[in-house]
Amino acid sequence: MTPLALSVVTIGGWGLVLGVLSGRVELVVVVLPLLVGLLRVVRTSPRPDWSVAHAVSSNRVFEGERVTVTVTVSAAQAVPLLELFEPLPPALRLVTGHTRGFFTLARGQEVHWKYEVECLRRGRVTLGTVHARLWDRSGLRAGETSLRVPWQLRVYPRVRPLRRLPRPRRTQISVGNYVAARVGEGLEPGDIRAFVPGDRVRHVNWRASLRLRRLFVTQYHQERNADVVLMLDTLTEAGAPPATTLDVSIRAAAALATAYLARKDRVGLIEYCGPFRWIRPDSGRAHHERLLEALLRADVMFSYVSQEVALVPRRVLPPQALVIAISPLLDVRFEKAVVDLAARGFDLVVLSPSPIPLVRRASRPTPSVDLACRLWLLERRARADTLRRLGITVVEWDPAEPLEAALGALSRPRRRGMVR
Amino acid sequence: MQHLSVVLALALVGYPLLIAPSTAIMVIGAVALALCCLGILFSTPVLVAGVVLALGEYALALWLWAGPLRLTGAVLLGVGLVVLLETGDNARRARHAARGPGVVTSQLRYWAVLGALSGMGALVLTSVARAASGSVRLPWVPAIAAAGAGVALIAIAIGLAGGRSLARD
Repeated sequence: MTPLALSVVTIGGWGLVLGVLSGRVELVVVVLPLLVGLLRVVRTSPRPDWSVAHAVSSNRVFEGERVTVTVTVSAAQAVPLLELFEPLPPALRLVTGHTRGFFTLARGQEVHWKYEVECLRRGRVTLGTVHARLWDRSGLRAGETSLRVPWQLRVYPRVRPLRRLPRPRRTQISVGNYVAARVGEGLEPGDIRAFVPGDRVRHVNWRASLRLRRLFVTQYHQERNADVVLMLDTLTEAGAPPATTLDVSIRAAAALATAYLARKDRVGLIEYCGPFRWIRPDSGRAHHERLLEALLRADVMFSYVSQEVALVPRRVLPPQALVIAISPLLDVRFEKAVVDLAARGFDLVVLSPSPIPLVRRASRPTPSVDLACRLWLLERRARADTLRRLGITVVEWDPAEPLEAALGALSRPRRRGMVR
Repeated sequence: MQHLSVVLALALVGYPLLIAPSTAIMVIGAVALALCCLGILFSTPVLVAGVVLALGEYALALWLWAGPLRLTGAVLLGVGLVVLLETGDNARRARHAARGPGVVTSQLRYWAVLGALSGMGALVLTSVARAASGSVRLPWVPAIAAAGAGVALIAIAIGLAGGRSLARD
C-alpha cells in the first residue's frame, strides 16, 4: 500500500467517524468522492514493457572533468508513470540535472533524460543500477524493481603541468632534452672549429667560413635523456577522500610522469604496497597511458609482506635512474626501502606530501586535534631529519600548495640532503 | 503542482469559514493550512494531519451553524480533498526530480477526469441515498451507519493491501 492509499483510507475513516459522531451527513458526503476514487484501484492495467539504456559523453576522463549521462527510456507499451533513480557513487558529484526522474510514456515512445556529473576521485567507477518504481496514475499502487545497465567510467588522476622538475644527476646517451657538456649529435650549437677531413658537410658553418676564408664546422652538444623511476607508497593513507595522502601522491606521480615523458625521458613506476608492482621505464604516449592506467588502479592494500628493494629487477630500477619516492612517510617499511635505495647509491629524492593538513581538514577543529597535529608535525620533522642525515633529499610538500613550488628548489643541481 | 495543492488547501480550510465565521474556526484553519503546506513540501503524513484538522474544522463549522444540509458544497469540498491529496503527494514525490515530457499535462488531465468522475459518483450516491431515506426506515440508524462505514473501510484497506504489484519482471 502506498502512503497515498493509506492517507485516503485514514481520511475516509476520519470523515465517516466525524459524520457518525456529529450526525451531519455532509461529513460523509465529503469523503464520498475519496472513497469513490478508490474504485480506480480495482481496474487492472496491462503489465508495461519498458527498457533503459545509458550513454555517456566520455568514458575516459580526468579528475575534475564533467561527464554528461544520457539515459534513454523506451516503452513497448504505454507506461502511466515511471520513477527512475540512479544513485551515484561517492567518486561522482551531481552538477546539473537530477538523478531521479518521472516519465510518462506512450506506446513506442522514447524519452531522454540527461544529467551532468563531476568526477571527484580517480578510479574505475561502475554505475548502472537503476531503481525503478512504476506508479499507476492515481499514486495508490506502485511496484518496485532494480535494473542493471552497467557502464564504466575511468577517471584518471588530474595532471597539473610542471615546468620545473628535479634534475637527474646521471643521464644516458639517448635522444632527450638534457644538453650535455660533451659534443656530439644534437641540436644545441656548441663550439665552432676548423674543418677536418671526415666532418659532415651539413655541419659546415658557412657564415664563419666565408668571413674567415676557411672552412669551419659547428659542433653540437649531445642531447641526453634520463631514466626516472617513480616509487609510490601505497602501504597506508590518511585523510578523507578525495584528498587522502594517496590521492595527492598519485596526482603528483601523474604530473611528474607526464612532465618527464614530455622531456623524452624514460619513466617507470614502482608501487610499494608490501610486495612490489612495477612498470618498466619507457617513453612515448602509449607508455604514458600505461602509467596512468597503473595509477588508476593503485590503492592501499593491507599486507604483512615486506619485500626488499634488491628483488626489483635491474631493468625496472636501472642503477643510473633518478628515483622519486612519493610517500607521506607513515609506514616504516617504506622508509626502510628508501634507506636501502640510498645505500645502493641511487639518485634519490623523497617527495613527502604532508598528511597533517589533510587530516586537519577532515576532522573537527578542537584543541586536542590541534595539539595532536603539532606533535605529529614534530615527529615528521624528526623523521625527515633522520633521512636527511643519511644523505637523502627530502622535499616536504603541503598538498594545499602547488607541487611546482615544492619542487622548485630541486630544479637546480642538488647537494645531498639539503632541500627542505 | 505545489501551487495547485496550496490553492486547494486554502479552499479546504476557507470553506468552513464561509459557513460559520468564528475565531476558533479561523485558528484551526490556520493550523490546518500550515500543516497542509508543510506536508505538500515534506511529508504525506503531515499533509494528512492537516486534512484531518481541516475536516475537524468543517465539522465544528457545521455544528456551530446547525442549519439545513449543504450537500453540493460538501461534494465540491470532497472533490477538492481528493485532488489535494493526489496533487500534494505527487508534488512531494516529484520534488528534486527530472520530469519527462508530458508528465505534468497527463497528470493534470487525469486529475480533471478524476475530480469530475468522483464528484459525479458522489452526487449520484447522495441522490440515491436521499431517495432511499424517504422510503426506507431503519432502526438504530447511527449504529448501522457506523458499522457499515467500518466494514467499508476494512474492505478497502484489505483490497489495497492485497492489490497486484505493477512491478516489471
